[in-house]
Amino acid sequence: MASFKLLSCIKCLTVAAGVVALAGVGYLYSGIYPMGADDQHNDLTYWALETLRERSIARASGDIEVPTDLNSSERLLAGGADYNDMCTGCHLKPGKTESDFSIGLYPSPPNLTLTADAHGHDHGGHSETDIPALRRQFWIIKHGIKASGMPAWGPTHSDERIWNMVVFLQRLPELSPQQYQILTARGEDDDGHH
Amino acid sequence: MKHLSLCYFVALPAMLLSLSAQAHDPKEHMKEAQAPDCAAMKDMDHANMDMKDPVMQAMMQKCMNAMHKDEEGEHEAHGDEGHADQGKQDEKADEKKPAKHQHKQ
Repeated sequence: MASFKLLSCIKCLTVAAGVVALAGVGYLYSGIYPMGADDQHNDLTYWALETLRERSIARASGDIEVPTDLNSSERLLAGGADYNDMCTGCHLKPGKTESDFSIGLYPSPPNLTLTADAHGHDHGGHSETDIPALRRQFWIIKHGIKASGMPAWGPTHSDERIWNMVVFLQRLPELSPQQYQILTARGEDDDGHH
Repeated sequence: MKHLSLCYFVALPAMLLSLSAQAHDPKEHMKEAQAPDCAAMKDMDHANMDMKDPVMQAMMQKCMNAMHKDEEGEHEAHGDEGHADQGKQDEKADEKKPAKHQHKQ
């Protein structure tokens, strides 16, 4: 009798799972879900995706070895020039508060000229002792983030160049527009620092 | 077999080389590159600058060449002015001096 009940329960669960799976597939094919970047996720979806992203990055970046020479002017200069070439369109620079990309992308890219506290969007710490934050930034620059507009720079840039950008990011929020211009300019005498 | 391993030895570096060629090359940006605005450094509050700070060191490093060039330019300009002044003084002195060859005319 007990085994008969267990069997019918398993059948019920299997049928229920099948119905849910079919409903899910039907929803995917229905095209009901709004895919436009100007139509924001509801809170539950946003939370689920953000949690998925953060947990994934934390797990994947956990073993990254952080260089010991991050407190270097050479790295700042090299990373600054690359940041200016590759990142300002979305992540802005001192004196600039928005761009077409920062407004139009969803999820909106963090403004890296602000500290994490200033805009409430955690994009990593600004301390060279905050090892998990450094690893996180390195991992994101290297691997990018799916369906966010953040590309993976790893296939075309060496780890050293990516670490240089991480170093620059630590100091970016405190730079004035003048300091930023000097640090990031690739002048005629610039040897590229690469 | 030897040919196969030889192929790997040739193909692998060639493939890596071609991949690295796709990388974002800083030289691509040199055409539109701005020179560092080092004149702005002169207006900054030097009393509050920490020379041990990597940001400050990086700025100094970046502007060192530009500043040296400016200084050289100024020296040359002063030098030219000096020479020009000297030339004018010489001319005036020559005017005051009686020209010996004129007496012979």
